[in-house]
Amino acid sequence: MAYPYQLGFQDATSPVMEELLHFHDHTLMIVFLISTLVLYLISLMLSTKLTHTNTMDAQEIETIWTVLPAIILIMIALPSLRILYMMDEMNNPLLTVKTMGHQWYWSYEYTDYEELNFDSYMIPTTELKPGELRLLEVDNRLILPMETPIRMLISSEDVLHSWAVPSLGLKTDAIPGRLNQTTLMSLRPGLFYGQCSEICGSNHSFMPIVLEMVPLKSFESWSSSML
Amino acid sequence: MSSSVLAKPQMRGLLARRLRIHIVGAFFVSVGVAALYKFGVAEPRKKAYADFYKNYDSMKDFEEMRKAGIFQSAK
Repeated sequence: MAYPYQLGFQDATSPVMEELLHFHDHTLMIVFLISTLVLYLISLMLSTKLTHTNTMDAQEIETIWTVLPAIILIMIALPSLRILYMMDEMNNPLLTVKTMGHQWYWSYEYTDYEELNFDSYMIPTTELKPGELRLLEVDNRLILPMETPIRMLISSEDVLHSWAVPSLGLKTDAIPGRLNQTTLMSLRPGLFYGQCSEICGSNHSFMPIVLEMVPLKSFESWSSSML
Repeated sequence: MSSSVLAKPQMRGLLARRLRIHIVGAFFVSVGVAALYKFGVAEPRKKAYADFYKNYDSMKDFEEMRKAGIFQSAK
């Protein structure tokens, strides 16, 4: 989950999010390189009275500052496309879970074997127990097995919503009349928090998502207890 | 009046010399900042993740969390 004064991403819980973290580091490094260069050149220009006002052409530098940015863009594009295709890989999910966005809660359906569905409403601030997180806790969490690929099918029953869990690198729009798919794979057990990420009305900020990742055996005994 | 002849000062190419020096300087500073970020932030982050998962026991982690009472599905 997010914490106060946080500057960077949340710790990665899925392999894809780890890749995204490293890609962001790579791209930010390039951003710092270019920004430092530009800042240096601007301060250089501001700190001299020397001028040169009769330049007609400068083929060499024009070549350099065309080719170098092209190379830098390729250096950004190649890892970017690698991760894009990695996110689309078929990985034989063990489980399919459907989530529907509503105003203003999420509902979850596990229909692979039996019919299990429930709604997930935010716990109001006045009803929180000590230690619980304000505006992030829900009454019924999405409970899933850890270390297994899971297919999430995401849609909406009314307006646009977006199902996001930053720590797993997930954000998929919930669009009425459309079924969007994403794959989820958590490397660790625990609780992972997210919030609705598409404006959907007055309680858009009050329909969080909580994933509870547990071992497969715990997941199986929980799901059979729910039926 | 005795006058010693001063050396003729450099009068041309001042901007070009300044640019030559500072282009090299700008290159080193910007590449240096990038290297600082890469070896100060990016590589330690990769190492931190590799070290975390090298001997990670997810079941042990789960048991600790379960005993702390945070799960709805496993008490």
